[in-house]
Amino acid sequence: MNEIENNNTNVEEIEEADNTAVEETANELPPMPETSAPEKYKGIKMSYEKRKAMYGYCFIALWFVGSIYFFVAPLIQSLIYSFHQTKIVQGGMEMTNPGFKNYYNAFRKDQYYVPALTAMIKNTLLNTPLIIVFSVFIAVILNQKFKGRTAARAIFFLPVIIATGPVIDIINGNMSTGGYSGGSEQFSTMFETNLVDDLLNFLGIYNISDKLTDVISTLTSDIMNLVWKCGIQILLFLSALQGIPYSAKEAASMEGATAWEYFWKITVPYISPMLIAALVYTIVDSFVDPGNEVMTLVLNQSKQWEHGYSAALAWAYFLIVGVILGIALLILNRFVYYEVE
Amino acid sequence: MATKKEERQFEKERKAAIKARMAKMKAEGLENYFTPDQIRYNRNQKILGAVWPIFRGLILFGLGFVIMYPLLFMLSTAFRPNDQMTDPSIVWLPKSLTMDNITQTAQVMKVSYWDWGKPLDNTVLNTIVLNVVASVLQVITCSITGYGFARFKFKGKNAFFALVLLMIIVPPQITTIPLYLQYAYFKLFGIIPLYSNGEQLSIINSGLTMYLPAIFANGIKAGLFIYIFRQFFRGLPKELEDAAYLDGCGPFETYVKIMVPNAKTSFLTVFLFSIVWYWNDFYVSSSFFTENRTMALMLKNLDATLQQQLFDGQTVSIRQIIVWLESGCLLAILPILVMYTFLQKYFVEGVERSGLTGM
Repeated sequence: MNEIENNNTNVEEIEEADNTAVEETANELPPMPETSAPEKYKGIKMSYEKRKAMYGYCFIALWFVGSIYFFVAPLIQSLIYSFHQTKIVQGGMEMTNPGFKNYYNAFRKDQYYVPALTAMIKNTLLNTPLIIVFSVFIAVILNQKFKGRTAARAIFFLPVIIATGPVIDIINGNMSTGGYSGGSEQFSTMFETNLVDDLLNFLGIYNISDKLTDVISTLTSDIMNLVWKCGIQILLFLSALQGIPYSAKEAASMEGATAWEYFWKITVPYISPMLIAALVYTIVDSFVDPGNEVMTLVLNQSKQWEHGYSAALAWAYFLIVGVILGIALLILNRFVYYEVE
Repeated sequence: MATKKEERQFEKERKAAIKARMAKMKAEGLENYFTPDQIRYNRNQKILGAVWPIFRGLILFGLGFVIMYPLLFMLSTAFRPNDQMTDPSIVWLPKSLTMDNITQTAQVMKVSYWDWGKPLDNTVLNTIVLNVVASVLQVITCSITGYGFARFKFKGKNAFFALVLLMIIVPPQITTIPLYLQYAYFKLFGIIPLYSNGEQLSIINSGLTMYLPAIFANGIKAGLFIYIFRQFFRGLPKELEDAAYLDGCGPFETYVKIMVPNAKTSFLTVFLFSIVWYWNDFYVSSSFFTENRTMALMLKNLDATLQQQLFDGQTVSIRQIIVWLESGCLLAILPILVMYTFLQKYFVEGVERSGLTGM
């Protein structure tokens, strides 16, 4: 068959050629017994494209059925709960009083919900850029060649395997009762001396020093939590850094780029797609963390069997965070550089 | 081909030659060879090359210490006799070491790493079986789904994929209560009641609450795993499939015989992460298990169980409880930590090589 030797033919054409070839030979030869007929041509005839689409559906079918049962149905169910007063009875949930009452109560009557929500949003907005910047910094360092890099990486990824579990909460709690001042405070004492202030005074800047010291000490006092939250993000950025082609680095050093220029003109554009992934991960992670204030409220309500109200709190929270995420993505998407496409 | 030893020799000679040439240039005056800009650039690079490693070492050491700090605290207290907790002269190093805390805590948590006599009563074994079975199922089904998304064109693909993204974003807390009811009155689209003669079937407390979602690619963080697999399979060359097709492979055969062997590292990475997340999970398991024991659950309730079973109503000061709690922490993360030290390279390199790069 000539077509196969020709590199440009795609599979579809070969398939068609195949068909015609078989038909032609079938015309010339005496009819074959039915059992030995090639299996391909039994059943419904479909084009290659259509058949591929069918196989695609087959591949995702298992997941789709599962997600209807384990994800979509419960999701819709909880949305329905959120519009009702609920009560657990034998065989399921009894729902009465349809309406927006739960949502109204959450925002107008609950004295904890709105403050917790604003505090949470403020925290996320403050922490997310910090986490991203910090993990980019660490990833760049861990990507350089030096002795003991494997050990350093092993230590920096340790939070990935421990931080999601109950272990770290317990250890942190114990450290504060044990007088080890919760780690974070221990480290912040390093910065409690008025070093920044003195430095600024020395440089002849007097007025802004108080504010600046405040900002710096809030940043540094949280360094423990910061480092412990960065594991996955460092991993993501490191994988993006490995994807920077060597030619880009070579060209930059030929042109005499300094490390600073290299970072802004080569590194940042190349890792910008991963920036989005890390951003989504960070926001979602802080959002679903059972330790955050809003989640605590939601879980408390559900422990008191107020499932409808709990669902309403969770849904309102989810929608708000979704909107924030959407806005952040819209803004960031303009600055992302994709090498392909 | 030169051997490694020879390569090293060549490298040495090359460096010596460059050094000699630089010395010669310097003797004749660098201005003859370079522009002033180049000279300045080279000098700056040289200074940076000397100073930066010191800074890097300091930063890495400091932050590494911050990360290790809680773990050091855990090691320091887990083997400390409890009366030494209130001794102000001890900060990090205890005066004597004891295994009592560990053995007592292990008894309370029903954990045993040394005696495998009663496998049904051992929390570790129970957790390991739960985790490994669920993770294996989850990895297989998620990879199949991810492959479907990566390599086939069909109508509504984007809508389906939006559902995957939604799975990543929606926190499990929203769906837990309806799920609980689904499990407690288990009907499975009304199939079960047809065969059970009107009896209610509840799968709360059984491992099925973990296995069933995993079989259907809906386990813990399944959305993320589907995403990773999709990215990975998208990165493999299309020619692989075409070649397989020409040789008479159907899509499922292609997947099993061509794609899976190519994705080995990716599989291992996802499997390890899945194990870790299942091991650490206490939200989902605490919702569906009231009697079934997992390590994370036992650890979460350790404070209460200690009061009940070990102290017998006596009051033990809050500082002294620390030694048992920390022993519990050590027992709970020991398997994960051991796994991490041996397979560390797969956590790191696997992710680098897998499709995550293409996000």
